[in-house]
Amino acid sequence: MANLKISSLKLGLFVLAGLFLFILTLYIIGKNQNFFGSSFEVRARFSNVNGLIPGNNIRFAGIQAGTVKHIRVINDSSVEVVLSIDNEMKPYIHKNAVASLGTEGLMGNKVVNIVPGKSAAPLIGSGDLLATPKTVSTDEMLLTLATTNNNIAEISEGLKGTIRRINQSKALWGILDDGSLAGNIRNSLRNLSQASLHTNEMTRDLGDIVSDIKEGKGSIGSLVRDTVLSSSLARAVEKVRDAGASIDRLAGQLDETVQDIHRQVAEGKGTVHALLQDSALARKLDASMENIRAGTDAFNQDMLALQHNFLFRGYFRKLEKEKKKAAAKNETAGTH
Amino acid sequence: MTPDAPYEIRSAPAGQAEQQTPAHVQQGQPAIIIEGLCKKFGTHIVLDHFNLTVGKEENVVILGRSGVGKSVLIKCIVGLLRPDSGRILVFGKNIPDLDHEEIDRVRAKVGFLFQSNALYDSMTVRANLEFPLRRHWIAIDQKEIDEMVQEVLDNVGLGHTADMMPEELSGGMRKRIALARTLILKPEIILYDEPTTGLDPVTGREISRLIVEMQKKYHTASMIISHDMGCVKTTADRVALLIDGKCYTEGTYDALKRSNDKNIAQFFE
Amino acid sequence: MASTSKFQAFLTETGDIARFTGRYFVQGVRPRFEIGELLRQCFLIGYNSFPLVGLTGFIMGLVLTMQLRPSLVDYGVESQLPVMVGVAIVREIGPVITALIFAGKIASSMGAELGSMKVTEQIDAMEVSGTNPFKYLVVTRVAASTLMLPILVILGDTIALLGSFIGVNIRANTSFTLFFRQIVNSFNFGDVLPAYIKTYFFGFAVGIIGCYKGYYSKKGTEGVGRAANSAVVMSSILIFIIDLIAVQITDLLGIN
Repeated sequence: MANLKISSLKLGLFVLAGLFLFILTLYIIGKNQNFFGSSFEVRARFSNVNGLIPGNNIRFAGIQAGTVKHIRVINDSSVEVVLSIDNEMKPYIHKNAVASLGTEGLMGNKVVNIVPGKSAAPLIGSGDLLATPKTVSTDEMLLTLATTNNNIAEISEGLKGTIRRINQSKALWGILDDGSLAGNIRNSLRNLSQASLHTNEMTRDLGDIVSDIKEGKGSIGSLVRDTVLSSSLARAVEKVRDAGASIDRLAGQLDETVQDIHRQVAEGKGTVHALLQDSALARKLDASMENIRAGTDAFNQDMLALQHNFLFRGYFRKLEKEKKKAAAKNETAGTH
Repeated sequence: MTPDAPYEIRSAPAGQAEQQTPAHVQQGQPAIIIEGLCKKFGTHIVLDHFNLTVGKEENVVILGRSGVGKSVLIKCIVGLLRPDSGRILVFGKNIPDLDHEEIDRVRAKVGFLFQSNALYDSMTVRANLEFPLRRHWIAIDQKEIDEMVQEVLDNVGLGHTADMMPEELSGGMRKRIALARTLILKPEIILYDEPTTGLDPVTGREISRLIVEMQKKYHTASMIISHDMGCVKTTADRVALLIDGKCYTEGTYDALKRSNDKNIAQFFE
Repeated sequence: MASTSKFQAFLTETGDIARFTGRYFVQGVRPRFEIGELLRQCFLIGYNSFPLVGLTGFIMGLVLTMQLRPSLVDYGVESQLPVMVGVAIVREIGPVITALIFAGKIASSMGAELGSMKVTEQIDAMEVSGTNPFKYLVVTRVAASTLMLPILVILGDTIALLGSFIGVNIRANTSFTLFFRQIVNSFNFGDVLPAYIKTYFFGFAVGIIGCYKGYYSKKGTEGVGRAANSAVVMSSILIFIIDLIAVQITDLLGIN
């Protein structure tokens, strides 16, 4: 210990430098985590937060805008995330902004991204619930499916009546004598037969799904069993089956009618003119056919969506594989 | 420690300054009375019912061979070691009974010259001398301290060394500084633990003479532990012989020198 | 037989150190407080260790950065180099390496200084001079090393990060602002506070062991040497043990 003179100045400088750096670090961290400065809270509900934790960052249009304050489970299918957002961001976030989950970098922390909405909306306020992107969930899909099927059932009911009336109307066959009209009708009938074909296919598919679900096969089966989804799914399935049955019947009748009409058109007999006078009926028939086509189109879209939904993807893939296998078997059987 | 206590201590030597009584004549209350002092380390008995009285302004030399417990004896007197039994009365107070503050008050009046000088080698000579002053007399100002340091350094003849480090000094000088450090408190009793050990004979004689000189100047009672006969001869008013933990005999240097007792004579060969 | 007596010696020493620590707390809270000596020790222990800590910190930051780079380049996350080094230094390497350097410098000097003071009766002289040597020598030194090590660690971390900045810039190019932001933004309180708090315990361990070894050193030159040596060894081991305990506690508290 050669240097015995202690310098209070140096010691003070040394201590203050250390304390300053420490407090600075704490301050910066605190600032990053919104401990200081004013902020407001909004909420967002997700079905799955993928490991988001309090303290994760919030980005608005890619800019650091706040941190996740806390996360709580609302029920078995939704989690509420409370977002603490800097006040300075308030004038830029509108009520229709969408909060989504993302990741910082390749393997980084989770972040909540707030993306501005497309249309104009009032500014966000404290405590508001931000929209989250619609994830295609099974129950929603089944719900639309059920509505569509209701529609189909109604349509087919109406169509049944119409067909009965066509069959009973002697005047209708008169129409078929008119050459120009015959072309139109033939077009319509072609559509009708296509529609019925679609309807048939779909009904079969649905029937298969329903039976599989009932047996509890695969992941979807267990999923259905375990959640509240199952009751709504069961209802939807019931409706699908009803609709399927009536479509089936309808298709059979349509088939008969079409074949009748075909025969009659080919034979060129009947009083087409008489039918022409009943223009109201003709229009109705046209509209019915349009309706049933629209109905089957919507049904098709639903089915497509179902096929792309991750839960059903595997099922449909399996179905396709089986179809291919069956086709291949048929082919090999044919060649032999 | 109460702040007024040190001032009582300071005033004590001043009151005795005019007394010119021969040192070996006991006047009033003796400085140190040791009665039935026992101390053992483990099973090794060092002091066994040791009795000794040191009068005011008297120089008593404790003579004994190495390892007989001479250092233990004086360390018990200042409370550095705690005796197993027996009484040590310093100014009428029994040291083993005192609490920390009281013992500090006694220590302010008792100087202790360590065998190894025990100069704080991280401090300058001045800081070494100031240390006991500051510790015992909290309230004194710097000017007074400086004067006292200079005075005591001049007394031991080393006025120029105030700002040197202990390691820069020779053994004899260090001993003088250590003596100065004990003297600076103007103690009434000084305990010397082998003051001439490790010094050459010339320096040893110088130190012995200095001890006597200072004793005259400061009117202290002294207890000197030594086996250096030169030192004993110079400093002793009375010699106590410590053998087997007991005070074997006591008397003046000349009286003991004349003794035919084998145990006594072996020191005077 | 020999192992039994060794184990007994170990237990005895542990008990002695515990008693010494207890004595520290008992004496430390009682007046009188040796403020002047405490400040002096803070200066000697803290300020005077700063160059050494700064140098080792700088080298550590630089070397760590250069050593980590190849692996991060392999994983394609070279841009995360400041974050990796920053977290490693602040959480673990900074406190532990600084504490070890500190133990090497301070525990040995305490062991040797108090040991030689003991041997040359300076401790007794102090007691005779109306000073409680435990308070004057031990309490001040332990308190100073407890208070100074955290500051040394903070400054050492800072210098290590500067070294890391230079290390990054040897092979790549980054601005100081980006470097600083990257590191600071990656921190949270769980990174900084436990690391900071444990340095107090490191400092305390170094002080207590250094003083204990010195205060109870055996007489003679060898005793002093052994006191200095075992003070360094024991306090270094203790630093690692405290580090182990600290990580368990932070883990249990869920702030890791």
